[in-house]
Amino acid sequence: MPTQIGIILGIMVLAYALAKARRLTVEISMFLAALVGGLAGIIFRTPPAGELIRHLVEGSATYLDVILVFSTATIFMAIVNESGGVNYVVRATIRAFHNKRLAALIVLMIIVLIPGALTGAGSISLLVVGAPVAMALKLLGISPKRAAAILFIIAGLSAAAPPVNIWAMILCAGTAIPYVGFELPLAVPVLICGVFTMLVLGWRKERSIDLATALQEMPKVPARMTWWRVLLPFLVFFGSVAAYRLFPFQTPILGLPLQFTMSALVAWLVSPHKIKILSLSRDTVKRLLPLISTVVIVGMLQQIMTATGVRGLLSYAVISIPLVFLLVSLAIIIPVSEGVLTYGAAAVLGIPLIWYLDSIGFHATVAIAGLTLLWPLGDGLPPTALIGRLSVMVSEYKGSYWEFLRTTWLPWLFITIVGILMVVYSAKLSFLVRWSM
Amino acid sequence: MKRPGLVKAVLIVLFLIFLIQGGLRLYRHRHFDVPVVTGPGVTRVAHLSDFGPGLKGTMADTLVYFLDGTEPGGKAILMSNTHANEPEGLLAALLMLENAVVEKGSLIIIPQFNNSAGRNTRPGDGYPLYFEIPTDWGLKTFRMGNRDASPLDQWPDPDVYIHYPDRQLLSYIDARNVNRTWPGRPGGPLMEKVTFAAMEIMRREKVDVAVDIHGAETMFPVTNCIVAPEKSNRIATMASLTVKAKEGFDSHVEPSPAGFRGLSHREIGDFSDTLPFLLEAPIPFLDQPTGPKTVKFLLDGKDPFLLSLAQKKKLFVAYDASGWPLEKRVGQHCSVTLEIIRQYSKKNPDRSILVRDIPRYAEIVQNGVGHYFHDPSRAERDRIYPN
Amino acid sequence: MPIIMIFYYLITAYLVVLLAWNFVREKKKTEDMALYLLVLIPLVLRILRLK
Ligand SMILES: [Zn+2]
Repeated sequence: MPTQIGIILGIMVLAYALAKARRLTVEISMFLAALVGGLAGIIFRTPPAGELIRHLVEGSATYLDVILVFSTATIFMAIVNESGGVNYVVRATIRAFHNKRLAALIVLMIIVLIPGALTGAGSISLLVVGAPVAMALKLLGISPKRAAAILFIIAGLSAAAPPVNIWAMILCAGTAIPYVGFELPLAVPVLICGVFTMLVLGWRKERSIDLATALQEMPKVPARMTWWRVLLPFLVFFGSVAAYRLFPFQTPILGLPLQFTMSALVAWLVSPHKIKILSLSRDTVKRLLPLISTVVIVGMLQQIMTATGVRGLLSYAVISIPLVFLLVSLAIIIPVSEGVLTYGAAAVLGIPLIWYLDSIGFHATVAIAGLTLLWPLGDGLPPTALIGRLSVMVSEYKGSYWEFLRTTWLPWLFITIVGILMVVYSAKLSFLVRWSM
Repeated sequence: MKRPGLVKAVLIVLFLIFLIQGGLRLYRHRHFDVPVVTGPGVTRVAHLSDFGPGLKGTMADTLVYFLDGTEPGGKAILMSNTHANEPEGLLAALLMLENAVVEKGSLIIIPQFNNSAGRNTRPGDGYPLYFEIPTDWGLKTFRMGNRDASPLDQWPDPDVYIHYPDRQLLSYIDARNVNRTWPGRPGGPLMEKVTFAAMEIMRREKVDVAVDIHGAETMFPVTNCIVAPEKSNRIATMASLTVKAKEGFDSHVEPSPAGFRGLSHREIGDFSDTLPFLLEAPIPFLDQPTGPKTVKFLLDGKDPFLLSLAQKKKLFVAYDASGWPLEKRVGQHCSVTLEIIRQYSKKNPDRSILVRDIPRYAEIVQNGVGHYFHDPSRAERDRIYPN
Repeated sequence: MPIIMIFYYLITAYLVVLLAWNFVREKKKTEDMALYLLVLIPLVLRILRLK
């Protein structure tokens, strides 16, 4: 059986490589890899021929809710941006902090951390506050490449930050470990790594810029723009998120897509000038196409990989690595798996890994926390590169993707070391879990 | 491009083929009914919606079978398909439903406890839609369900699920997992209504014992066991020791963790006078590092990767080339359930429950699970219920 | 059907309209046309209450 699965895996990799060589996009190449993998599987009746299309169609629905969140959040922010709200906020931030660099960097970091921490998705951080923060970073004299790098790393950390960490939640749901005691094991490393990143990538001024020119460089803000027009839509969003946390049994479950839709409608209503919502939404969906199609195709790929046994083979390969080597190779395995499967990786590798580590005396909660620092790094790696591509998109960096990724090397290394040390010393660090409860 | 119209037409045709071929299969799965031939012991059939509000007319409503004895005594409730991708529970419950006769006390069986999940598929995990069991009269087909309810019945998910009433944060996925929504509330999301109605049965009918039947991965530390809170511990221990001594299989006792909310073995005990037990039998099919997810693997539990991992001591159950066949899993569930009922009756003679005609481990391993299912085409119409 | 769920079907339908519209207007890139339809699969399945 392993040979049969190996053949299917080989055919999938080959299909992907050939498609890329013929200059097809990442998304189409991944889809072809899934399709061809499924066809190869039919030879061994894994899956049976009649089931192939059902598997692809069923797999496409794996991340349906993620598509809705991405789309509604981006439309919301597009409206806020169109109304001039983004520029308004950045102008105010720059005016307040232009000669307090450390404070400016920390404030901007916290602004990026909050949406992702609350929703568990770094993409939300980027979609909601990415563009204005990128602009503020540029006005602090940071190049678009470094700004994109900062956004990528901090958005990743925001996804790992408590209270909501989706990888940890998937792992907890899959391993039957309660999602409790994660506050400090996540918050402490996230803040340390965050400050480190801001200093490494943001401290140096790549060009000096004075306040007057900075403000002049920015697009004009509509005259009737006011604080409350900017804040109201965000209050609706954060208010509805907070309401469910504070009064969970009195508040109906709205879900993120509806919360963003409500905020979008409010932003549209309070905009100082009329916004053509339909054409704006259409453009937004066009811009989002690579991301939402990636999410759909990853679901299909995951389904085909499981039905053919490829997913099991990969999971088996990881679990079979000897312990010490395994711990070191987490630095590669975890991000790469995220790059291929996004959230699917947490289940495929994470669940057996955590059960195994738990059984040999590691502290599961701290080990999960450590691993979830590594997963977001993979969101910058191809083929999917979800967060990396978003970071580039919102910061309007126009250069090569690899250049951008290389810029992140030092924080990347730092986070990797912190994450692996947390796994290795999970038992010693378990006081963080106790202090959280 | 020369002919954009033609390209588009071709793409639309492909799109429609995908949508119709794939969508129709998923639709048929959701609406496929498994005919159950109720046995001589079934005295009345109710709906879960008779016990709690907000379930009538939804896919979460499900049949509740009562097997009342001629003599008064205690009451036991059995639930399976709490997780509808762990079919050994469902088969054990249906097998009891089709054969058991209760002499004293009552047995209440809810075979499709999460009916919505039983009619849901698991995207991304490549399961087959159905599996067939050989019986004495041909193949009997069952749906393979999902761990969680369908979003067609409960949508949207929260960004994080907050457990009622403890406020513990749980994964957003667990809002659709009925083994996290206990004890439930009448005004909560659909799955909380399901567990609330079940709690109402236990409180109103004064149920003594609740058994929630599952399957668990071989790499999961809590597998092949009886999970019991403090108050059920003695009976669980006695049952575990007895099946080991008399029937020769292992099923150890695991304490229900006090700090993990929403689980049946925790909340049923805390919110009613009922003694809860959760049974786990190993189901290799659910493990991550396995070969393709085929029907054969689901039934025989044989996998080369797990075998290799067993040799590396990475599994929590004994595992050899014989795999972990369905008959063993279902047999264990039947024997452990019977033993729990027997031990409870021994300790509480005034509330004792006497059941006969449920096969035990050795018989099921020998005869196969299908042997105990009755042919719906030859049964009386009014004894057949769609599940 | 609860009112919040109805809103979700409306949101999904809105996205379906946007994607279909973009598909119709796309004249050059075959790959993008295919991607629009791929994204439409799960959304249409949901609206038809198939998945
Ligand atoms: Zn279960």
